[in-house]
Amino acid sequence: MTTLIALLSIMFFPAGIALILSGMLYEWADRKLVARFQNRIGPRWFQPLADTIKLLSKEEIKPSGLNGILFYGLPIVALTGALTAALYAPVLGFAPIHSFPGDLIVTLYMLSLLTICMGLAGWNTSSRFSTIGATRSLTQLFAYEAPFLLALLGPAMVANSWMIKDISAYADAHWWIILTQPVGFVVALIGLMGKLELPPFDAPEAETEIVAGALTEYSGRGLALFHIGKSIELVVAVSLVAAFYLGGIGNPVVFLIKTLGIVLLMALLQAMLTRLRIDQTVGMWWRFGALLALLQVLVLVLLKGWLV
Amino acid sequence: MTTETLLQHASELLAPFAKASNNPESNRLDVQITPGDLPAAAAALSNASWGYLAAITGMDLAPEINELEALYHFCDKAAITTLRVHLPREDQPEIPSISDKIPAASFFERELSEMLGVTVVGTPDPSRLFLPDDWPTGVYPARRDFKIEDAAPVPVVRKTPEPGRVGNRFVVPIGPQHPALKEPGHFEFSVDGEVITGARMRLGYVHRGIEKATEGRNWIQNLYLLERVCGICSHTHASAYAQGVEKLAGVEVPPRALAIREFVAGLERIHSHLLWLGVSAHEAGFDSLFMYSWRDRETVMNLLEELTGNRVNYSICILGGVKQDIVAEHTETIHKSLDYLEERIRYYLDVVTTDVTFLQRTRNIGTMSLEEATLYGTLGPTARASGLERDVRVDAPYGAYSQFPVTMVTAERGDLEARFVVRMNELLVTCATLRAIADNLPAGDIATRFPRKVPAGETVSRVEAPRGEAFYYIKSGGGDSPVRLKIRTPSLCNWTSVLNKVVGHQLADVPMLIAGMDPCFSCNDRMVTVHRKDDSSTITWAELRKYGIEKYKRG
Repeated sequence: MTTLIALLSIMFFPAGIALILSGMLYEWADRKLVARFQNRIGPRWFQPLADTIKLLSKEEIKPSGLNGILFYGLPIVALTGALTAALYAPVLGFAPIHSFPGDLIVTLYMLSLLTICMGLAGWNTSSRFSTIGATRSLTQLFAYEAPFLLALLGPAMVANSWMIKDISAYADAHWWIILTQPVGFVVALIGLMGKLELPPFDAPEAETEIVAGALTEYSGRGLALFHIGKSIELVVAVSLVAAFYLGGIGNPVVFLIKTLGIVLLMALLQAMLTRLRIDQTVGMWWRFGALLALLQVLVLVLLKGWLV
Repeated sequence: MTTETLLQHASELLAPFAKASNNPESNRLDVQITPGDLPAAAAALSNASWGYLAAITGMDLAPEINELEALYHFCDKAAITTLRVHLPREDQPEIPSISDKIPAASFFERELSEMLGVTVVGTPDPSRLFLPDDWPTGVYPARRDFKIEDAAPVPVVRKTPEPGRVGNRFVVPIGPQHPALKEPGHFEFSVDGEVITGARMRLGYVHRGIEKATEGRNWIQNLYLLERVCGICSHTHASAYAQGVEKLAGVEVPPRALAIREFVAGLERIHSHLLWLGVSAHEAGFDSLFMYSWRDRETVMNLLEELTGNRVNYSICILGGVKQDIVAEHTETIHKSLDYLEERIRYYLDVVTTDVTFLQRTRNIGTMSLEEATLYGTLGPTARASGLERDVRVDAPYGAYSQFPVTMVTAERGDLEARFVVRMNELLVTCATLRAIADNLPAGDIATRFPRKVPAGETVSRVEAPRGEAFYYIKSGGGDSPVRLKIRTPSLCNWTSVLNKVVGHQLADVPMLIAGMDPCFSCNDRMVTVHRKDDSSTITWAELRKYGIEKYKRG
């Protein structure tokens, strides 16, 4: 029976299908909000689903001169990484399905797996746009990864745990951490946008320069899988930030409002800012992002040592 | 300096080379030289900073005369000096290149050699610019004895698949189909990491041979053909052509018609610059500005439609005047629209000069000094952003520009930001001029009779398009169609600067740098429009609008 429940929870709810659908919901919210900010009407609510179905039903074209196993395998690995990360995150306002000490780190690296897969996918083709896109994806990974990790480490330190469940429980029971660690929240939010390659950090897929970046040669199913992986990454990462900084899980409805609040903030930033060049992105992260996050951690360490 | 002193100066400079010289019109000097003297003559003009090379017109005089003619037009303010070089028609004629002294000549020389079959000795890039790859060698479309049967496509050997590396360079191709390009062109950028180390360009994907086509149509028909040279500045081409032909025919155009032409040209400038603002913002990844500026552009498009009946090819020019009048009931709409546009343009000016992230992509990017802008022969806002004062509307006021003058807008810095500032400020000036025209339209007719035949002669007509000077050379043989008509659009002059300035910049800056000069491939190429014979469904503008709104409401 427990196996059945475990299977059902992984396949349908809260992971699996429900997760994919919620990913589409967040993606739609993001697209719609950006469209409204830009004085456009924006897509209909089922547009992400329609896009996915369309892509899945389309022919997948494999360009010549590349490794077939990698070409077909990478989207699957990427999606697997994102889905696995979702197991440890409080998606949709439900407690994580699985938990173990240190799952925060595992989750973050599962999310990075997607970016690494995209980078590899770009390198695997002979397309010049893909190669440049892949280089940029990986360069950007090195830029935001450390600050983003440090930003999520702040709440972990005050909660004295590296378990997502504990941290969100701590956040639930105390003041919203955004009030005590505002710098961390800002870094986490912007890191999130870098991770998701959303404007202004969309240099890796800047269409006016390199078409679609690393995924230029992907079509059909492969592209669909990457897209699904990306929207799940959006859900997981937004859930983590909301659970850590905006007062834990609470109940699903409140949590949905909190996460949509973050999506709203991100949409606003996307509409407001101009795409940064890759050198500007890296420069910004290491000059400001990493330093601010480090400062935050340093303050926490000192305060903790002093209080305890 | 007045036009007379400028021409006097040019005539002195060219005296050592001149075989014959005359003044066909009060603002023109025509000097005949030998091919061998051409580099020295061009150098004499350019060393004395006498103007810039505006165009090279190649002409096949006729098989029975057995001579080709190449005209090198130099312009300085209102003065035009033409170096006339005669070449033998047979045995692969040769002409020395002048592009070591005048880099901008390179594109003109490429066009001359592929179209007319003149070997330009020493030109840096002799490869094809406009003709397709499968065009047979030794067939020159601008020759009088050219027959379309000779141009049967020859098979092209292509390297497949194209390697990313060419030698030890990593080449990024952009175009002919690429999201950054709204029209087809092909660029090859060699990159070292993200930094550009070299650039090449190929045009002609939409070349229709309009110059040649004008020779087979009468003066009236050509007006409609030339209006379709460019979809954005159609009025520029129509008015440049009309102005030239009217000059040849000696027809006096009523002042009211000239004022209306200037008015439509102003509206066209607003629509073109707002379109450009959106496109550039999109290239930079600032889509919000793109969406907003294009929304506001609708105001001017609607105004154009109300005044002329069309949104794109306004078709308001006719030979001898204009087709539609601006009447009293338009005045209120005009002022209301201009109020709104002025407010929005001020806002955009504020955005492009204060938005921090946008400035990161424009400030000190692609900086072109005044010297470089002069050397590369840039025109229009691209030149003016570097402080180079070139504006035909001010330098050589044509039409109604002496009655309703505009002030020249320049900037010093020469970077991308300066190009934004110049264009936006130019729009504010344009709005003020438009108001003046709307309030003080001269009374009288809007058109006068135009003869069917135009007396023999040749003339040059220059008009300031939104992108810079559009140059028309028109030659009439006294019949009902032109003998030769040469169009040189501003984009062709500005390419040299872009291809030179991108080197050393980041790949990410390339779309912005290309967009910075507001390239218009279709005027370069003299564009093809697709005509579907079987498409009989028609829809009125109101229906289309309704359909569009409903379609999006459903969403």
